[in-house]
Amino acid sequence: MVNLKNLLNSLNTEADYISLRSVHHHSVSVGVRNEILEGVSSSEDNGLMIEVMIDGQIAYGATNSFELSEVKRCAEVARQSALMAKRFGLFPLTHQERPKVIGEYKSPASRGMDHFKPSEITDLLISLTGQMKIHDHIISRTANFSLIETHSHYVASNGSDVHQKIIRSTISLSATAASDKGTQRRTFGDEQSAQSGLERIDRAVLLKASQKIADEALALLEAPECPTETMDLLLAPDQMFLQIHESIGHPLELDRILGDERNYAGWSFVKPSDFGTLHYGSKLMNVTFDPTVVGQNASYFADDIGAIATREYLIKDGLLERGLGSLESQKRLNLPGVSSQRATSWNRPPIDRMANVNLEPGHSTMAEMLSTIERGVFMQTTRSWSIDDYRNKFQFGCEHAQLIENGKLTTIVKNPNYRGITAPFWNQLKMVGDKSTYQIGGLTNCGKGEPNQVIHVGHASPACLFSKIEVFGGGK
Amino acid sequence: MSTQYSKYDSVAFENFSKKILNELTQDESLTMTLSAEETLFSRISKARVRQITNVAQASIDYVYIKGNKTLSFTLPYKAFEEDVDLALKKLKISREWIEKLPDDPYLVRPAFYGITKEENLNALPSNDEMLSGVLDYASHVDLAGMFASGDIVRATINSAGQFHWFKTRNFYLDYSLYNNKQKAVKSLFAGSTWDALALRENIKDSELKLSLMDRDSKIIERGSYRVFLAPSAVAELLGTLSWGGVSMGDHQRGNGSLKSLWEKTKHLSPKFNLTEDFSLGMSPRFNDRGEVAASSMPIIENGLLKNFLTSTRTSNEYKVETNFATDWEGMRSPVIKSGSLARENILKELGTGLYLSDLHYLNWSDRETARLTGMTRYACFWVEKGEIICPIQDLRFDESFYSIFGDALVDLTNYSEIIPNTGSYSQRDVGGSKVPGILLSEFKFTL
Repeated sequence: MVNLKNLLNSLNTEADYISLRSVHHHSVSVGVRNEILEGVSSSEDNGLMIEVMIDGQIAYGATNSFELSEVKRCAEVARQSALMAKRFGLFPLTHQERPKVIGEYKSPASRGMDHFKPSEITDLLISLTGQMKIHDHIISRTANFSLIETHSHYVASNGSDVHQKIIRSTISLSATAASDKGTQRRTFGDEQSAQSGLERIDRAVLLKASQKIADEALALLEAPECPTETMDLLLAPDQMFLQIHESIGHPLELDRILGDERNYAGWSFVKPSDFGTLHYGSKLMNVTFDPTVVGQNASYFADDIGAIATREYLIKDGLLERGLGSLESQKRLNLPGVSSQRATSWNRPPIDRMANVNLEPGHSTMAEMLSTIERGVFMQTTRSWSIDDYRNKFQFGCEHAQLIENGKLTTIVKNPNYRGITAPFWNQLKMVGDKSTYQIGGLTNCGKGEPNQVIHVGHASPACLFSKIEVFGGGK
Repeated sequence: MSTQYSKYDSVAFENFSKKILNELTQDESLTMTLSAEETLFSRISKARVRQITNVAQASIDYVYIKGNKTLSFTLPYKAFEEDVDLALKKLKISREWIEKLPDDPYLVRPAFYGITKEENLNALPSNDEMLSGVLDYASHVDLAGMFASGDIVRATINSAGQFHWFKTRNFYLDYSLYNNKQKAVKSLFAGSTWDALALRENIKDSELKLSLMDRDSKIIERGSYRVFLAPSAVAELLGTLSWGGVSMGDHQRGNGSLKSLWEKTKHLSPKFNLTEDFSLGMSPRFNDRGEVAASSMPIIENGLLKNFLTSTRTSNEYKVETNFATDWEGMRSPVIKSGSLARENILKELGTGLYLSDLHYLNWSDRETARLTGMTRYACFWVEKGEIICPIQDLRFDESFYSIFGDALVDLTNYSEIIPNTGSYSQRDVGGSKVPGILLSEFKFTL
């Protein structure tokens, strides 16, 4: 293990500020389809990001070598870039945007990479796909496992020193049913990445989930199309995660509001003047940024520029309070933000991201929400998603739905979709489920930034009821 | 003049690889695939530098086979001696792991697919000089985007003696220009030789297009409209096809999007021809296994399916012929054949309808019927009687591929544009597409 502090002290780079951030990823994944092992793979990635500030201009240099000569070369390249770029700098930074921070974080996982045995996981996944083999119409049965350990170390010329060790794992399943009536797919676990290790594997729960998705995929083959009409829409937590992600998380990123993302991911319908004034949703809507939730996918001690993580309300009683942006964006906008400037790895600079963005539970039980619905539909599990570059007009599809008629769940319907516009949609939030409906999840694939970066985020939500939403099915 | 790159060269990689390959026993085989880059990324907003990052990175994917079993691992490649120790240590662990794994019935063994070396290393000005050139010239406009330049390497070598090396040096400015109404036009300036005059012409042309966006935007009611989709919008549609649209494996597993075309219960327009054509020169013909695809292969010809992309693993499993696709079975160098619509006749032939320059955030809304949804983006206009009237407020579409490239396809332009991939998740992409614009008799908007 390289001593990063010594490495920093060995650099003679002339700069107002310099930091080193090493990131070591170690991951394993196993995939099984139709009881056949498709692959066991492991990956190690280890590198260093050097950040140099000269006269308020920051530049970065990234290398996967820790040899002193190479690190010195990389620091010099970054220094030259800072000198060149300061003539064109967008805004000057100060030491205030790089606070001194010392601390440590460890995921609550107890069984990490040292406990991984490929044959044990392979045997488990083979038994899970076998459990889905309930009918000839189930033509594809998959089970995938991944375990990722990430160890980052951040040191800076201001004395900062932060170690963070994060362990994440997921198990995801899918069952695809096909007949002359079409093809239907059900999945489990794609949105359940969490900061836990092998100890989270519960064979009985996974076998039950395997059976359930295979049953549901078969049932969907026989189901009628989701009707096309405007009706009440009850969303399960595993679809709420996406709804929160796309229509709350992304539009509240301050770098989008500033226009940094305009050429790629897009802008935002939210304006700086909306903070403190915009009624984003109904009064039942309370959304927090919370990287302190124990075990949630995007929990940490500090972001990648040294801002310490704290729980903050983004939206309280429906009113927009603050955005997702760290010290750099806060300074540029003169608005409050959060500790969220994160990089996907050592080879990318940190940008404004989500961490855990959660919709807080309300007071309604599932039975109470159902009882208020004369005609509606209950949708579960993300299948398709698309939203415009201002995060306004969205269309989302789900894997599974069931009609709600006179307060009761009735017919299963296939190919359910719904569409809407962000702020009106959230203002149609009619009931929010209580803790009994609340689930904590995590996504592994949030993409953004130029150069592109994909990062882990967390979402938690109860089931939620929206009134008068356009829903529709598949077909021509 | 030219930035000197020396870190990742073919001789060093080959010598390193041989040290690992020489350690294999008789019943073992190994394929090593290198991805490397030395890139300057400069993120630009308001024609100023938001972030500037220099990245030197390389990694090697190893596919290890012993008997009838296989596993894979990825390690950093630093071009230092310690790489050998790290790889041999991992090989030792792999030997232990593989013993307890089941056999792979669809195993793809390494084979000798030849030895090739291709390097396109034109001299470019220094990164500073190119970036300064962009920012100095663009200082009067609101430009947002990414300037990237440097070297990219793809290489593969295996224990059967095969070795392929591909190294290219290029740059791109992927950008959009904005007016004070937050309306924008999009452009791309890319290449492997630097032409400062051409850069200025490109930005000037975008400014001219942006002036059309000053008019007030029209709100278009939902419904079906006659539309023209410019090449960049067509490239977005084409990109979605690589997500299960042209993959043999996905169709065999029930996750394909052109099932009806495959089963010949539906067809596309006889005017629609799609080819995987490596003569574009933007992507190596070899895949991660070192298998070399045909220089040109029809995918859809005269509206009928000719070939899905098929990897050797899919071939082994479903007993169909491989065409040496990647395991992902996505397109690497797609080309849509042009048609007869001349540039000067586009608006006249469109008549009254929508001119769409770009589409955004596409996804399958119903794979079963090849239905796609997405948004209009950037320079999109309402056209009446062959004249551009005004920009539009963005619209959501939801339409079937069988309509877009089938019944509704009136014509394709008689010119095409080459659109390089500018993706950079984990590393800079290679490859690109060549596509014309298309005129459609109807295109459905839903929101």
